[in-house]
Amino acid sequence: MNDTDDSNFDDLMTAAADLATEVKPGRDLWPGIEQAIIKPVRPARTMWNTVWAQAAAVLILVGGSSGITYLAVTDGADVTTPVAGGPTLVFESASGSFGSQYNLGPDYLDAQRDLAGRLDDELDHLTPDVREAVVTNIAAIRTAIAEINLALAEDPDNVLLQELLLSTYREELTLMKQVNGFNLSAMRRDDI
Amino acid sequence: MDALLTANIAETDREAVPVTVDIADDEHHWVRKAQAQDTAAFEALYRLHVDKVYGLCLRMTGNASEAEDCVQDAFIQAWTKLDKFRGESAFGTWMHRVAVNTVLGRMRKSRREQDRIRAVAEVSSVPDSIGDNGGLQDMELAINELPSGARHVFVLHGVYGYSHGETSGMLGIAEGTSKAQFHRARRLLAQQLKTESA
Repeated sequence: MNDTDDSNFDDLMTAAADLATEVKPGRDLWPGIEQAIIKPVRPARTMWNTVWAQAAAVLILVGGSSGITYLAVTDGADVTTPVAGGPTLVFESASGSFGSQYNLGPDYLDAQRDLAGRLDDELDHLTPDVREAVVTNIAAIRTAIAEINLALAEDPDNVLLQELLLSTYREELTLMKQVNGFNLSAMRRDDI
Repeated sequence: MDALLTANIAETDREAVPVTVDIADDEHHWVRKAQAQDTAAFEALYRLHVDKVYGLCLRMTGNASEAEDCVQDAFIQAWTKLDKFRGESAFGTWMHRVAVNTVLGRMRKSRREQDRIRAVAEVSSVPDSIGDNGGLQDMELAINELPSGARHVFVLHGVYGYSHGETSGMLGIAEGTSKAQFHRARRLLAQQLKTESA
């Protein structure tokens, strides 16, 4: 490398250093950036919101009604005065389902049929207040079962909903057991 | 850097309002607010640095449209990585690093670099906004015709004044490679400028 080359390189570097380091873009680029960085607005309600809201409502409903019924049945346990002409619970035939993909097991259906058949007789021996509480809460539990089944129809593989439905069926059996004074074995997952 | 600068900060109604700011203090303030997801503060940072970032992207890509895309990508990247900015360097330096990574990433992803080389004759009409005189325009054109490796090193070291250590760090190459590429760039530029002047 000779002196001429060095001189050329120096000129070159001087010219490079003189180049503008700040160049104004031909257009405002901020709107595109802003659009990309602002988070999209989350949808107000999704199907999942609805499903979980239903599940939570059902849980509260079943828990509350079971507690009330338990207290009512316990309080009324000593009252044995027969009451004539009380309301009659009408049980549908064994139409229990577990979402759209599952059916209730035969053991459960037998127990439900048996308990339901005896429940009418037992109700006649309860005071009007207790009987009304039992009828109301059995109806609430069955409404809950129907709603969970609807949610499961939308999301058949939802394990949490399946468990919720199972426990709700279990609540139904427990309530009938309390009224009938029966002692049932615990329901298992493979009963369904 | 000098203490005062007048910058335009767009308000929520999109109307530009002139604001006098102390750069060092306010940049730090804006960075902290932007890190807390304040887009208005990030816009202030954008307005403060966009010309430098665009200049760097333009010289590295040699294409105004590609440079605009790079600027947008770089600022979007910066927004998502703001929590990693610890203030160990100036925000502008950090932003340059992000921009360089963005340019290199885009070049790796696409074959636009090859397209750019083919189309260099068409895009060599350097944007009016650069506004240099004839001699510097020759220099701009000559830089644009450099191979990408040599061009990137020359732009960062020769034009923006980063050391070879910083340049190699930004480009992910060895420092010796940076020096070699710079030497190569100088030689090619000298040849090109000599040819053009002949």
